[in-house]
Amino acid sequence: MRKVANYLWVEKNGEEYKLIMTPELQDDIGTVGFVEFTKEKTLKKDDSVLELEGSKTVLDLTAPIGGKIVAVNEKAEDAPELLNSADPDESWVVKLAEVDEAEFNALENA
Amino acid sequence: MMTQLQRLHFLISYMQQEMKEKGPIPEHFDERFAMFRGLANRRPARPAAGEFIDVQDAFLAEYNAAGITDSDALSPVAAQLYLWQGDITTLRAEAVVNAANPDMLGCFIPNHDCIDNIIHTKAGVELRLECAELMQRQGRKEAVGRAKITSAYNLPAEYILHTVGPYVREGRVTAMKADLLRKCYTSCLSLADENGIRNIAFCSISTGVFGFPKEAAAKIAVDTVRNYLEETGSGLEVIFNVFDEEDLKIYEAHLI
Repeated sequence: MRKVANYLWVEKNGEEYKLIMTPELQDDIGTVGFVEFTKEKTLKKDDSVLELEGSKTVLDLTAPIGGKIVAVNEKAEDAPELLNSADPDESWVVKLAEVDEAEFNALENA
Repeated sequence: MMTQLQRLHFLISYMQQEMKEKGPIPEHFDERFAMFRGLANRRPARPAAGEFIDVQDAFLAEYNAAGITDSDALSPVAAQLYLWQGDITTLRAEAVVNAANPDMLGCFIPNHDCIDNIIHTKAGVELRLECAELMQRQGRKEAVGRAKITSAYNLPAEYILHTVGPYVREGRVTAMKADLLRKCYTSCLSLADENGIRNIAFCSISTGVFGFPKEAAAKIAVDTVRNYLEETGSGLEVIFNVFDEEDLKIYEAHLI
């Protein structure tokens, strides 16, 4: 099941919620040239997740939903252009756990 | 005491020497000022000799003193809201907002006709130095929609709030761009409140070289400020600064 908020898809797989770049976001930022993930382990809604520099803009991506970060797309640190990929296995940002399901359900359907 | 022309001569010679450049210094004030401005615009962020700063500050103090508008003399168009047409670098408000770019070091294009350029020129070279320190501490470029505060140095204002607006191509305002412009306003307002600032003057963020359509930008500006004041109960006074007649009419339509 997939939702959308803060220009990110939130994909639910069991207990895990994956944040993925949307095509609209990719279009607005251009080719990603630099990324820096948050150092925080737990996020509240609208906390900064990722600072990125694209060819079209510099952006501070914020969490559409709160939760505990269980994985970050570390490959994107060395190859930021992965975030421009149409393949969610490449253009995901972080994976969250301990998400409030009601908060997730309240998001707009993708 | 040096005259303004002599001060400019000194400042130009100093910067020419610094940049290992030569060139005749014009006789007349306007051309001489333009040459000074161009050099200051290109000058990288590095400390200057105390004498340079003294002469520059003396020059700018006199240059900036002409035609100042005091924000206390303005009449509100609505509760806490003001609309003022003029050059933001001549406004004595506690804080003025600069439309910066992600490098946040001011405009480097000599004599470029943008707000970032004239604010840095009239504030003085100290401003670029302070910005460079902030950016070095941050270690990366400034994201769109945030705000940073610096001293205003030689401007009549006390503080400058720097924010990077969204860049719009061919007038295509996406939902994200509109959200980011809103964020510019709320970031500046929150930062002003955090610093106990009494009044703040906004330029029309993103509408210059960043291409945000003026009408849509003005609506976002006014709505966002109104919502912020309502939601937070902030006592901040907000001045919408417009430069030309077209902008004035657009803002009047939204404010009055």
